[in-house]
Amino acid sequence: MMRLLGAALVAAGAAWLGFRAAGTLRLRARALEEMAQGLALLEQELEWDGPPLPRLMEELEGRCRGPARALFRDCRRALDELERESLSDAWEELVGARGELGREGQAALLPLGDTLGRCGCEEQRRAAARVRTRLEELARRTEEEQRRQGKVYQVLGLSGGAFLIILLL
Amino acid sequence: MDGEQRIRAYVQAAGALPQRLRQEALSLPREEQARGEEFRLRAGRPMSVVLPEGERTLGRVSVSTRELEQLVEIASRASLHAVLDQVRRGYLTMAGGHRIGLCGTACMRDGAIHSLSRFSSADVRIARQLRGAADPVRGALCPGGKLASTLILAPPGAGKTTLLRDLIRQVSDGAGCQPLRVSLADERGEVAALYGGVPQLDVGGRTDVVEGCPKAQGLILLLRAMNPQVLAADEITAPEDVTALRTAAGCGVTLLATAHGESREDLERRSLYRPLLEEHIVRKLVRIREKGGQRFYTVEELG
Repeated sequence: MMRLLGAALVAAGAAWLGFRAAGTLRLRARALEEMAQGLALLEQELEWDGPPLPRLMEELEGRCRGPARALFRDCRRALDELERESLSDAWEELVGARGELGREGQAALLPLGDTLGRCGCEEQRRAAARVRTRLEELARRTEEEQRRQGKVYQVLGLSGGAFLIILLL
Repeated sequence: MDGEQRIRAYVQAAGALPQRLRQEALSLPREEQARGEEFRLRAGRPMSVVLPEGERTLGRVSVSTRELEQLVEIASRASLHAVLDQVRRGYLTMAGGHRIGLCGTACMRDGAIHSLSRFSSADVRIARQLRGAADPVRGALCPGGKLASTLILAPPGAGKTTLLRDLIRQVSDGAGCQPLRVSLADERGEVAALYGGVPQLDVGGRTDVVEGCPKAQGLILLLRAMNPQVLAADEITAPEDVTALRTAAGCGVTLLATAHGESREDLERRSLYRPLLEEHIVRKLVRIREKGGQRFYTVEELG
Protein backbone atom coordinates (compact mmCIF):
# COMPACT_ATOMS: atom_id res chain seq x y z
CA MET A 1 0.00 0.00 0.00
CA MET A 2 2.80 2.39 1.00
CA ARG A 3 4.71 1.58 -2.19
CA LEU A 4 1.63 2.31 -4.22
CA LEU A 5 1.09 5.61 -2.48
CA GLY A 6 4.75 6.60 -2.90
CA ALA A 7 4.69 5.68 -6.57
CA ALA A 8 1.51 7.71 -7.09
CA LEU A 9 3.12 10.72 -5.41
CA VAL A 10 6.27 10.48 -7.53
CA ALA A 11 4.19 10.14 -10.68
CA ALA A 12 2.05 13.13 -9.71
CA GLY A 13 5.23 15.15 -9.01
CA ALA A 14 6.69 14.33 -12.42
CA ALA A 15 3.43 15.20 -14.15
CA TRP A 16 3.27 18.48 -12.19
CA LEU A 17 6.77 19.37 -13.34
CA GLY A 18 5.74 18.84 -16.95
CA PHE A 19 2.59 20.93 -16.57
CA ARG A 20 4.52 23.63 -14.74
CA ALA A 21 7.08 23.93 -17.54
CA ALA A 22 4.24 24.30 -20.02
CA GLY A 23 2.47 26.81 -17.72
CA THR A 24 5.60 28.96 -17.37
CA LEU A 25 5.71 29.45 -21.12
CA ARG A 26 2.02 30.34 -21.21
CA LEU A 27 2.41 32.89 -18.40
CA ARG A 28 5.50 34.42 -20.01
CA ALA A 29 3.70 34.84 -23.30
CA ARG A 30 0.84 36.58 -21.49
CA ALA A 31 3.23 38.80 -19.50
CA LEU A 32 5.04 39.83 -22.68
CA GLU A 33 1.72 40.64 -24.35
CA GLU A 34 0.58 42.73 -21.40
CA MET A 35 3.87 44.59 -21.35
CA ALA A 36 3.59 45.27 -25.07
CA GLN A 37 0.03 46.55 -24.56
CA GLY A 38 1.31 48.84 -21.79
CA LEU A 39 3.93 50.25 -24.12
CA ALA A 40 1.29 50.79 -26.80
CA LEU A 41 -0.61 52.94 -24.28
CA LEU A 42 2.60 54.78 -23.42
CA GLU A 43 3.13 55.52 -27.11
CA GLN A 44 -0.44 56.74 -27.43
CA GLU A 45 -0.11 59.11 -24.48
CA LEU A 46 3.19 60.46 -25.75
CA GLU A 47 1.66 61.06 -29.15
CA TRP A 48 -1.50 62.77 -27.92
CA ASP A 49 -0.53 64.66 -24.85
CA GLY A 50 2.99 64.03 -23.57
CA PRO A 51 2.27 64.72 -19.89
CA PRO A 52 5.10 64.83 -17.32
CA LEU A 53 6.37 61.36 -16.51
CA PRO A 54 4.95 61.12 -12.96
CA ARG A 55 1.44 61.82 -14.29
CA LEU A 56 1.97 59.53 -17.26
CA MET A 57 3.14 56.67 -15.04
CA GLU A 58 0.20 57.14 -12.69
CA GLU A 59 -2.24 57.07 -15.56
CA LEU A 60 -0.67 54.00 -17.14
CA GLU A 61 -0.58 52.21 -13.81
CA GLY A 62 -4.32 52.57 -13.66
CA ARG A 63 -4.89 51.36 -17.21
CA CYS A 64 -2.43 48.48 -17.51
CA ARG A 65 -2.33 44.93 -16.25
CA GLY A 66 0.30 42.45 -15.08
CA PRO A 67 3.97 43.37 -15.34
CA ALA A 68 3.25 46.65 -17.15
CA ARG A 69 1.15 47.85 -14.24
CA ALA A 70 3.83 46.86 -11.73
CA LEU A 71 6.64 48.40 -13.77
CA PHE A 72 4.84 51.73 -14.25
CA ARG A 73 3.91 51.82 -10.56
CA ASP A 74 7.51 51.21 -9.46
CA CYS A 75 8.74 53.73 -12.02
CA ARG A 76 6.39 56.38 -10.58
CA ARG A 77 7.84 55.68 -7.13
CA ALA A 78 11.40 55.91 -8.46
CA LEU A 79 10.60 59.37 -9.82
CA ASP A 80 10.31 60.57 -6.22
CA GLU A 81 13.92 59.62 -5.55
CA LEU A 82 15.72 61.00 -8.55
CA GLU A 83 18.30 62.84 -6.47
CA ARG A 84 19.45 59.45 -5.17
CA GLU A 85 19.29 57.45 -8.36
CA SER A 86 18.84 58.44 -11.98
CA LEU A 87 15.82 57.12 -13.82
CA SER A 88 17.93 55.04 -16.21
CA ASP A 89 19.64 53.27 -13.27
CA ALA A 90 16.31 52.80 -11.51
CA TRP A 91 14.76 51.47 -14.73
CA GLU A 92 17.49 48.84 -14.99
CA GLU A 93 16.72 47.65 -11.46
CA LEU A 94 12.97 47.72 -11.98
CA VAL A 95 13.16 45.77 -15.22
CA GLY A 96 15.50 43.29 -13.50
CA ALA A 97 12.77 42.65 -10.93
CA ARG A 98 10.22 41.67 -13.59
CA GLY A 99 11.34 38.05 -13.90
CA GLU A 100 7.99 37.02 -15.43
CA LEU A 101 9.12 38.62 -18.71
CA GLY A 102 12.07 36.26 -19.06
CA ARG A 103 15.66 37.28 -19.84
CA GLU A 104 14.94 38.24 -23.44
CA GLY A 105 11.92 40.32 -22.47
CA GLN A 106 13.94 42.13 -19.83
CA ALA A 107 16.78 42.74 -22.27
CA ALA A 108 14.31 44.16 -24.80
CA LEU A 109 12.93 46.61 -22.22
CA LEU A 110 16.26 47.89 -20.92
CA PRO A 111 17.12 50.40 -23.70
CA LEU A 112 13.91 52.31 -23.01
CA GLY A 113 15.49 53.55 -19.75
CA ASP A 114 18.00 55.59 -21.75
CA THR A 115 15.25 57.47 -23.57
CA LEU A 116 12.36 57.70 -21.15
CA GLY A 117 11.94 61.28 -19.95
CA ARG A 118 15.23 62.34 -21.52
CA CYS A 119 14.21 63.63 -24.91
CA GLY A 120 11.24 64.87 -26.92
CA CYS A 121 7.93 62.99 -27.08
CA GLU A 122 8.51 61.75 -30.61
CA GLU A 123 11.90 60.19 -29.83
CA GLN A 124 10.47 58.53 -26.74
CA ARG A 125 7.48 57.29 -28.68
CA ARG A 126 9.73 55.79 -31.37
CA ALA A 127 11.88 54.10 -28.72
CA ALA A 128 8.78 52.68 -27.02
CA ALA A 129 7.50 51.45 -30.41
CA ARG A 130 10.77 49.64 -31.09
CA VAL A 131 10.64 47.93 -27.71
CA ARG A 132 6.96 47.06 -28.16
CA THR A 133 7.65 45.47 -31.57
CA ARG A 134 10.40 43.37 -30.02
CA LEU A 135 8.15 42.32 -27.11
CA GLU A 136 5.33 41.38 -29.51
CA GLU A 137 7.78 39.25 -31.47
CA LEU A 138 8.93 37.57 -28.28
CA ALA A 139 5.34 37.02 -27.16
CA ARG A 140 4.50 35.38 -30.52
CA ARG A 141 7.59 33.21 -30.36
CA THR A 142 6.87 32.20 -26.76
CA GLU A 143 3.28 31.35 -27.67
CA GLU A 144 4.45 29.18 -30.56
CA GLU A 145 6.99 27.56 -28.29
CA GLN A 146 4.29 27.02 -25.72
CA ARG A 147 2.02 25.40 -28.33
CA ARG A 148 4.84 23.23 -29.61
CA GLN A 149 6.74 22.47 -26.43
CA GLY A 150 3.94 22.81 -23.91
CA LYS A 151 2.33 19.57 -24.96
CA VAL A 152 5.73 17.88 -25.11
CA TYR A 153 6.43 18.97 -21.53
CA GLN A 154 3.05 17.75 -20.37
CA VAL A 155 3.44 14.40 -22.13
CA LEU A 156 7.01 14.07 -20.85
CA GLY A 157 5.81 14.78 -17.30
CA LEU A 158 2.99 12.25 -17.53
CA SER A 159 5.05 9.56 -19.26
CA GLY A 160 7.98 10.16 -16.88
CA GLY A 161 5.56 9.64 -14.00
CA ALA A 162 4.17 6.48 -15.58
CA PHE A 163 7.71 5.19 -16.18
CA LEU A 164 8.60 5.80 -12.55
CA ILE A 165 5.49 3.93 -11.39
CA ILE A 166 6.45 0.96 -13.55
CA LEU A 167 9.98 1.13 -12.25
CA LEU A 168 8.94 1.38 -8.61
CA LEU A 169 6.25 -1.24 -8.70
CA MET B 1 12.18 88.12 3.02
CA ASP B 2 13.66 87.23 6.40
CA GLY B 3 16.71 85.06 7.05
CA GLU B 4 14.74 81.88 7.67
CA GLN B 5 12.77 82.29 4.45
CA ARG B 6 15.99 82.93 2.55
CA ILE B 7 17.52 79.76 3.99
CA ARG B 8 14.38 77.80 3.08
CA ALA B 9 14.61 79.06 -0.48
CA TYR B 10 18.30 78.11 -0.60
CA VAL B 11 17.58 74.59 0.67
CA GLN B 12 14.68 74.19 -1.76
CA ALA B 13 16.84 75.26 -4.70
CA ALA B 14 19.58 72.87 -3.54
CA GLY B 15 16.95 70.14 -3.81
CA ALA B 16 17.47 70.15 -7.57
CA LEU B 17 21.10 69.15 -7.18
CA PRO B 18 22.23 65.53 -7.34
CA GLN B 19 22.95 64.05 -3.92
CA ARG B 20 26.69 64.74 -3.74
CA LEU B 21 26.36 68.35 -4.87
CA ARG B 22 23.39 68.87 -2.59
CA GLN B 23 25.46 67.79 0.39
CA GLU B 24 28.16 70.27 -0.64
CA ALA B 25 25.59 73.05 -0.96
CA LEU B 26 24.09 72.27 2.43
CA SER B 27 27.52 72.22 4.06
CA LEU B 28 27.63 76.01 3.72
CA PRO B 29 26.99 77.76 7.07
CA ARG B 30 23.39 78.90 7.52
CA GLU B 31 24.23 82.60 7.54
CA GLU B 32 25.97 82.11 4.18
CA GLN B 33 23.02 80.11 2.87
CA ALA B 34 20.79 83.10 3.57
CA ARG B 35 23.03 85.20 1.30
CA GLY B 36 23.39 82.65 -1.49
CA GLU B 37 22.07 83.81 -4.86
CA GLU B 38 23.01 81.06 -7.32
CA PHE B 39 24.74 77.72 -7.69
CA ARG B 40 27.14 77.52 -10.59
CA LEU B 41 27.91 74.12 -12.08
CA ARG B 42 30.54 73.75 -14.78
CA ALA B 43 31.62 70.36 -16.10
CA GLY B 44 35.16 69.63 -15.01
CA ARG B 45 35.15 72.26 -12.24
CA PRO B 46 33.93 72.13 -8.65
CA MET B 47 30.52 73.66 -8.00
CA SER B 48 30.42 77.20 -6.65
CA VAL B 49 27.86 79.35 -4.90
CA VAL B 50 27.33 82.98 -5.85
CA LEU B 51 27.24 85.33 -2.86
CA PRO B 52 26.81 89.12 -3.05
CA GLU B 53 30.60 89.54 -2.93
CA GLY B 54 31.26 86.95 -5.67
CA GLU B 55 31.59 83.23 -6.41
CA ARG B 56 32.84 80.80 -3.79
CA THR B 57 33.92 77.26 -4.64
CA LEU B 58 32.20 74.48 -2.72
CA GLY B 59 34.10 71.22 -2.33
CA ARG B 60 36.94 69.94 -4.44
CA VAL B 61 35.40 67.32 -6.66
CA SER B 62 34.58 68.45 -10.18
CA VAL B 63 31.06 68.42 -11.52
CA SER B 64 30.58 65.64 -14.07
CA THR B 65 28.44 65.82 -17.19
CA ARG B 66 26.37 63.00 -15.71
CA GLU B 67 25.60 65.21 -12.71
CA LEU B 68 24.51 68.00 -15.04
CA GLU B 69 22.17 65.56 -16.76
CA GLN B 70 20.89 64.45 -13.38
CA LEU B 71 20.25 68.07 -12.40
CA VAL B 72 18.01 68.49 -15.44
CA GLU B 73 16.35 65.16 -14.72
CA ILE B 74 15.58 66.12 -11.12
CA ALA B 75 14.36 69.61 -12.01
CA SER B 76 12.13 68.32 -14.80
CA ARG B 77 11.10 65.24 -12.79
CA ALA B 78 12.45 63.14 -15.64
CA SER B 79 10.06 64.83 -18.04
CA LEU B 80 12.27 66.68 -20.47
CA HIS B 81 9.57 66.39 -23.13
CA ALA B 82 7.22 68.45 -20.95
CA VAL B 83 9.73 71.29 -20.56
CA LEU B 84 11.47 71.10 -23.92
CA ASP B 85 10.20 74.55 -24.94
CA GLN B 86 11.88 76.04 -21.90
CA VAL B 87 15.09 74.07 -22.45
CA ARG B 88 15.20 75.36 -26.04
CA ARG B 89 15.19 78.85 -24.58
CA GLY B 90 18.03 77.82 -22.27
CA TYR B 91 16.32 77.63 -18.91
CA LEU B 92 14.07 75.50 -16.78
CA THR B 93 11.73 76.62 -14.02
CA MET B 94 11.45 74.32 -11.04
CA ALA B 95 9.10 74.11 -8.07
CA GLY B 96 9.54 77.19 -5.90
CA GLY B 97 10.23 79.38 -8.93
CA HIS B 98 13.97 78.69 -8.96
CA ARG B 99 15.41 78.82 -12.46
CA ILE B 100 18.06 76.66 -13.99
CA GLY B 101 20.00 78.24 -16.84
CA LEU B 102 21.58 75.68 -19.14
CA CYS B 103 24.49 75.58 -21.56
CA GLY B 104 25.49 72.72 -23.79
CA THR B 105 25.50 71.58 -27.38
CA ALA B 106 22.59 73.00 -29.31
CA CYS B 107 20.84 70.80 -31.82
CA MET B 108 19.58 72.99 -34.67
CA ARG B 109 16.54 72.25 -36.80
CA ASP B 110 15.21 74.61 -39.49
CA GLY B 111 17.54 77.35 -38.27
CA ALA B 112 16.24 77.28 -34.70
CA ILE B 113 17.44 75.55 -31.55
CA HIS B 114 15.57 72.25 -31.37
CA SER B 115 17.13 71.01 -28.15
CA LEU B 116 20.15 71.27 -25.90
CA SER B 117 22.17 68.21 -25.07
CA ARG B 118 25.59 67.31 -23.64
CA PHE B 119 25.17 69.96 -20.98
CA SER B 120 28.39 71.79 -20.15
CA SER B 121 27.26 74.16 -17.42
CA ALA B 122 24.24 75.17 -15.41
CA ASP B 123 23.25 77.95 -13.12
CA VAL B 124 20.61 77.40 -10.44
CA ARG B 125 19.19 80.81 -9.51
CA ILE B 126 17.54 80.92 -6.12
CA ALA B 127 14.14 82.59 -6.36
CA ARG B 128 13.52 85.14 -3.67
CA GLN B 129 10.48 87.28 -3.62
CA LEU B 130 10.87 90.72 -2.11
CA ARG B 131 7.43 91.42 -0.69
CA GLY B 132 6.93 95.09 -0.11
CA ALA B 133 9.41 96.10 -2.81
CA ALA B 134 6.68 98.30 -4.31
CA ASP B 135 5.72 99.97 -1.01
CA PRO B 136 7.88 103.08 -1.58
CA VAL B 137 6.22 103.84 -4.94
CA ARG B 138 2.69 102.48 -4.59
CA GLY B 139 1.17 105.70 -3.26
CA ALA B 140 2.62 107.76 -6.10
CA LEU B 141 1.53 105.25 -8.75
CA CYS B 142 -2.02 104.92 -7.48
CA PRO B 143 -3.45 108.42 -7.34
CA GLY B 144 -6.94 108.17 -5.84
CA GLY B 145 -6.25 104.52 -5.08
CA LYS B 146 -6.20 103.38 -8.72
CA LEU B 147 -3.09 102.38 -10.59
CA ALA B 148 -2.02 104.68 -13.43
CA SER B 149 -0.24 103.27 -16.51
CA THR B 150 3.39 102.97 -15.46
CA LEU B 151 6.74 102.24 -17.03
CA ILE B 152 9.57 101.07 -14.78
CA LEU B 153 12.94 102.15 -16.11
CA ALA B 154 16.32 100.92 -14.91
CA PRO B 155 19.56 99.37 -16.11
CA PRO B 156 19.87 95.56 -16.07
CA GLY B 157 20.10 94.04 -12.60
CA ALA B 158 18.65 97.05 -10.81
CA GLY B 159 15.47 95.27 -9.70
CA LYS B 160 12.89 96.07 -12.38
CA THR B 161 11.38 92.59 -12.37
CA THR B 162 11.26 92.49 -8.56
CA LEU B 163 9.43 95.82 -8.45
CA LEU B 164 7.08 94.82 -11.28
CA ARG B 165 6.21 91.53 -9.55
CA ASP B 166 5.41 93.23 -6.27
CA LEU B 167 3.40 95.97 -7.95
CA ILE B 168 1.36 93.32 -9.78
CA ARG B 169 0.81 91.48 -6.49
CA GLN B 170 -0.29 94.59 -4.63
CA VAL B 171 -2.59 95.84 -7.38
CA SER B 172 -4.05 92.38 -7.87
CA ASP B 173 -4.69 91.92 -4.16
CA GLY B 174 -5.76 95.51 -3.64
CA ALA B 175 -3.04 96.19 -1.09
CA GLY B 176 -3.38 99.91 -0.43
CA CYS B 177 -5.15 100.47 -3.72
CA GLN B 178 -8.20 99.38 -5.65
CA PRO B 179 -7.96 95.64 -6.50
CA LEU B 180 -7.79 95.10 -10.25
CA ARG B 181 -7.74 92.11 -12.61
CA VAL B 182 -4.17 91.85 -13.88
CA SER B 183 -3.05 89.92 -16.93
CA LEU B 184 0.66 89.24 -17.20
CA ALA B 185 2.55 88.37 -20.39
CA ASP B 186 5.50 86.58 -18.81
CA GLU B 187 7.49 85.62 -21.89
CA ARG B 188 10.46 84.09 -20.06
CA GLY B 189 8.61 83.05 -16.94
CA GLU B 190 10.70 85.33 -14.75
CA VAL B 191 7.89 87.28 -13.10
CA ALA B 192 5.44 84.59 -12.00
CA ALA B 193 7.61 81.48 -12.59
CA LEU B 194 4.76 79.15 -13.55
CA TYR B 195 5.35 75.54 -12.57
CA GLY B 196 2.66 73.03 -13.37
CA GLY B 197 0.39 75.98 -14.15
CA VAL B 198 0.79 77.51 -10.69
CA PRO B 199 2.75 80.76 -10.16
CA GLN B 200 5.63 79.94 -7.85
CA LEU B 201 6.10 83.59 -7.00
CA ASP B 202 3.15 85.51 -5.60
CA VAL B 203 1.62 87.71 -8.27
CA GLY B 204 -1.68 88.19 -6.49
CA GLY B 205 -5.04 86.50 -6.45
CA ARG B 206 -6.52 88.32 -9.46
CA THR B 207 -3.65 87.74 -11.84
CA ASP B 208 -3.77 85.64 -15.01
CA VAL B 209 -0.48 84.63 -16.58
CA VAL B 210 0.51 83.59 -20.07
CA GLU B 211 4.12 82.50 -20.54
CA GLY B 212 6.37 81.06 -23.17
CA CYS B 213 5.14 83.15 -26.08
CA PRO B 214 6.47 86.45 -27.42
CA LYS B 215 5.21 89.38 -25.32
CA ALA B 216 3.32 91.06 -28.14
CA GLN B 217 1.34 87.91 -28.89
CA GLY B 218 0.82 87.22 -25.20
CA LEU B 219 -0.49 90.73 -24.58
CA ILE B 220 -3.00 90.51 -27.43
CA LEU B 221 -4.08 87.02 -26.34
CA LEU B 222 -4.66 88.26 -22.79
CA LEU B 223 -6.50 91.32 -24.04
CA ARG B 224 -8.88 89.17 -26.07
CA ALA B 225 -9.24 86.27 -23.69
CA MET B 226 -9.02 87.52 -20.13
CA ASN B 227 -10.71 90.92 -20.10
CA PRO B 228 -7.94 92.52 -18.06
CA GLN B 229 -8.08 95.80 -16.19
CA VAL B 230 -4.29 95.92 -16.06
CA LEU B 231 -1.89 94.43 -18.61
CA ALA B 232 1.66 93.80 -17.44
CA ALA B 233 4.84 92.81 -19.26
CA ASP B 234 8.51 92.69 -18.40
CA GLU B 235 11.16 94.24 -20.66
CA ILE B 236 9.56 95.99 -23.58
CA THR B 237 12.23 95.68 -26.26
CA ALA B 238 10.55 95.26 -29.66
CA PRO B 239 8.31 97.46 -31.83
CA GLU B 240 5.64 94.71 -31.73
CA ASP B 241 5.56 94.98 -27.94
CA VAL B 242 4.92 98.72 -28.17
CA THR B 243 2.23 98.18 -30.81
CA ALA B 244 0.51 95.67 -28.51
CA LEU B 245 0.66 98.12 -25.60
CA ARG B 246 -0.84 100.87 -27.79
CA THR B 247 -3.65 98.54 -28.80
CA ALA B 248 -4.32 97.69 -25.15
CA ALA B 249 -4.26 101.34 -24.14
CA GLY B 250 -6.82 102.00 -26.86
CA CYS B 251 -9.08 99.49 -25.14
CA GLY B 252 -8.87 101.41 -21.87
CA VAL B 253 -6.57 98.96 -20.12
CA THR B 254 -4.02 100.23 -17.59
CA LEU B 255 -0.45 99.25 -18.49
CA LEU B 256 2.41 98.15 -16.31
CA ALA B 257 5.73 97.47 -18.02
CA THR B 258 9.49 97.68 -17.64
CA ALA B 259 12.26 98.82 -19.97
CA HIS B 260 16.05 99.06 -19.93
CA GLY B 261 17.23 102.64 -19.60
CA GLU B 262 18.57 105.34 -17.33
CA SER B 263 16.33 108.37 -17.65
CA ARG B 264 13.34 109.98 -19.32
CA GLU B 265 15.67 111.67 -21.81
CA ASP B 266 17.09 108.26 -22.60
CA LEU B 267 13.57 107.09 -23.44
CA GLU B 268 12.77 110.15 -25.52
CA ARG B 269 15.88 109.60 -27.61
CA ARG B 270 14.84 106.05 -28.55
CA SER B 271 12.26 105.86 -31.30
CA LEU B 272 10.91 102.59 -29.90
CA TYR B 273 9.57 104.19 -26.73
CA ARG B 274 8.67 107.61 -28.11
CA PRO B 275 5.06 106.69 -28.98
CA LEU B 276 4.46 105.61 -25.39
CA LEU B 277 5.45 109.08 -24.20
CA GLU B 278 4.04 111.18 -27.02
CA GLU B 279 0.67 109.49 -27.00
CA HIS B 280 0.54 109.62 -23.19
CA ILE B 281 0.10 105.87 -23.07
CA VAL B 282 2.15 105.72 -19.87
CA ARG B 283 1.43 108.27 -17.17
CA LYS B 284 4.10 107.48 -14.62
CA LEU B 285 7.75 106.67 -14.91
CA VAL B 286 9.58 104.88 -12.11
CA ARG B 287 13.36 105.05 -12.18
CA ILE B 288 15.48 102.78 -10.01
CA ARG B 289 18.98 103.68 -8.94
CA GLU B 290 21.26 101.57 -6.82
CA LYS B 291 23.70 103.14 -4.40
CA GLY B 292 25.68 101.39 -1.69
CA GLY B 293 23.63 98.23 -2.06
CA GLN B 294 20.38 100.17 -1.58
CA ARG B 295 17.71 100.89 -4.15
CA PHE B 296 16.26 104.35 -4.63
CA TYR B 297 13.05 104.96 -6.54
CA THR B 298 11.98 108.13 -8.32
CA VAL B 299 8.47 108.53 -9.70
CA GLU B 300 7.96 111.02 -12.53
CA GLU B 301 4.70 112.26 -13.94
CA LEU B 302 4.55 111.98 -17.73
CA GLY B 303 2.44 114.46 -19.61
